[in-house]
Amino acid sequence: MSRNPEEPVYNRIEEARVALGLSRQDLADKAGVHYQTIGYLEREEYSPSLVLALRIAKSLNQEVSDLFSQTPFKKGK
Amino acid sequence: MWKLKDAKEIKILGITVKPKNKIYWIEGVTEKGVKDLLNNENSKFRWLRPQRNRRILVILMALGLLLTSMGSYWPTLKTNLNLSTDVSLIVFTVTAIFVIFAMVLGYSFLRIAVRSIADAPDELLDERQIAVRNTSFRYAYRGFETIALVVILLMIIGPEVKMFQPEGNDGSYLMISMLFLGSSLPSMVMAWRERDI
Repeated sequence: MSRNPEEPVYNRIEEARVALGLSRQDLADKAGVHYQTIGYLEREEYSPSLVLALRIAKSLNQEVSDLFSQTPFKKGK
Repeated sequence: MWKLKDAKEIKILGITVKPKNKIYWIEGVTEKGVKDLLNNENSKFRWLRPQRNRRILVILMALGLLLTSMGSYWPTLKTNLNLSTDVSLIVFTVTAIFVIFAMVLGYSFLRIAVRSIADAPDELLDERQIAVRNTSFRYAYRGFETIALVVILLMIIGPEVKMFQPEGNDGSYLMISMLFLGSSLPSMVMAWRERDI
């Protein structure tokens, strides 16, 4: 369930989360959301609000622009 | 995020205080109840969560609602089934009690199946859950509107139950099932549509 299916938001949440050794529940606790919301975000089935994107980026020690993009990320980058 | 285990007790100046369980009267939920259902570690009623099981529950609930509304057509059914007055009274009473009880049980299970997300207030949900709840309410509202229109047409042109008549069947069971429908439709929509709850 994306906010706007015609304008998908791609992300690298899973990659960044795994790199930090965090589970979905760990990240959910840090970002203040339900663990299933992290699943929806990672599968790009839901586009977060700016506030949530900022909270997730902070929880993963990343910049929002490094985590989210309107164009697909290149693999391994 | 506020976690259930954090809420068991708070120490203030060496005094242990147990926070009160907030009751949301309008939504018909309690803070602890919702947080218990949202807690991933809570394995109670986990079997209700798969979408297939939720959809079965929605179908059973819809059948129950249909059966409840049929109570308004009992006089015709009774005649068609050739039941005597005593037997028909027993059959009607037993069925009515059973169906109403099943409806209450089904409604409770439905709320559990969707983790009370359809009823919970904003402050207990995250932004995706709020969006899911709002979408379910939008669909439920439109669905209810359509069903209400069908019921009204049925009461105007259909058999047995008649609107705007000085005497006759008032359609009480139809109204009871509409009440149950109105309460449970957002949860039913959510239980049917959402892949993961």
